[in-house]
Amino acid sequence: MPIDEEPKVPITPPELWVESYGDYLYGFAMSRLRNAEAAADCVQDTFLAGIKALERFDGSRDIKFWLRGIMRNKIVDQIRKSIKENKVNIESEDETLIESFWFKYSGIATTNPDPWQFNPRKHYDNGEFWVVLEKCIAQVKHPAREAFVLRVLEEQTTEEVCKAMDISPNYLWVLLHRAREQLKTLLEANWTGKDAN
Amino acid sequence: MITCKQVSNALSKEDYKDMPFVRRLFLRLHVSLCLFCGKFNKQVMESQHMCSCYKEREDTLAAHRPKMNELKKEELSQLLQSHIKSK
Repeated sequence: MPIDEEPKVPITPPELWVESYGDYLYGFAMSRLRNAEAAADCVQDTFLAGIKALERFDGSRDIKFWLRGIMRNKIVDQIRKSIKENKVNIESEDETLIESFWFKYSGIATTNPDPWQFNPRKHYDNGEFWVVLEKCIAQVKHPAREAFVLRVLEEQTTEEVCKAMDISPNYLWVLLHRAREQLKTLLEANWTGKDAN
Repeated sequence: MITCKQVSNALSKEDYKDMPFVRRLFLRLHVSLCLFCGKFNKQVMESQHMCSCYKEREDTLAAHRPKMNELKKEELSQLLQSHIKSK
């Protein structure tokens, strides 16, 4: 195979990035940040960083995904910044939970969580289910939402999230539990197709 | 045999599906039999599975997501032009 092989995917010139990828990247940033101004800033920073680093792009994949990769770092930075300005205070209910016997003994919040009112797996083939899930994720409350976005969606390590949010690993586990709990309640309330088989 | 705490710790650090086969086996066995953490950690695993399926399908949701304001797009295009020229 020749060393100087042509890029496999044609590279869209930066002049066309806004038109080609502006909406895609903005929508992606909004799904994480829920703030129009912050999302637009992320897209702008991504394009500017992309222009600077374009020489390093190897053309092995669609440039859209390369730009999205850059933007994911910008999104994490943006969340870190917003947490610095709006510090996470532990709720007394969560403090009690962390100090509880069950949590210390087994790392769980309850031995008897409410069961799901429907089986979500049965709806994975329905595209509409994921649209509803995304809407539900947007409604998870601060700071559980930020913990969920960083840890689950952006796949940061526990250590990275704890550092960014200035919280203990135990509290992060509790926040993720809160996010899961809220998502379940929101899905049960908002997913209208749950009776379908 | 692993303990409830070890199951919770493992699930807090890593998705169930990304764990090595043997750890997954022990974890699944513990969660299926445990009267204390079974129900809770089963829901954690279910949620991890749902989120990982969501991430795989995320790109199909792009059409449902909010679009960038046209005025902002115009400003951004001009800004990019000036950066491209100055490069």
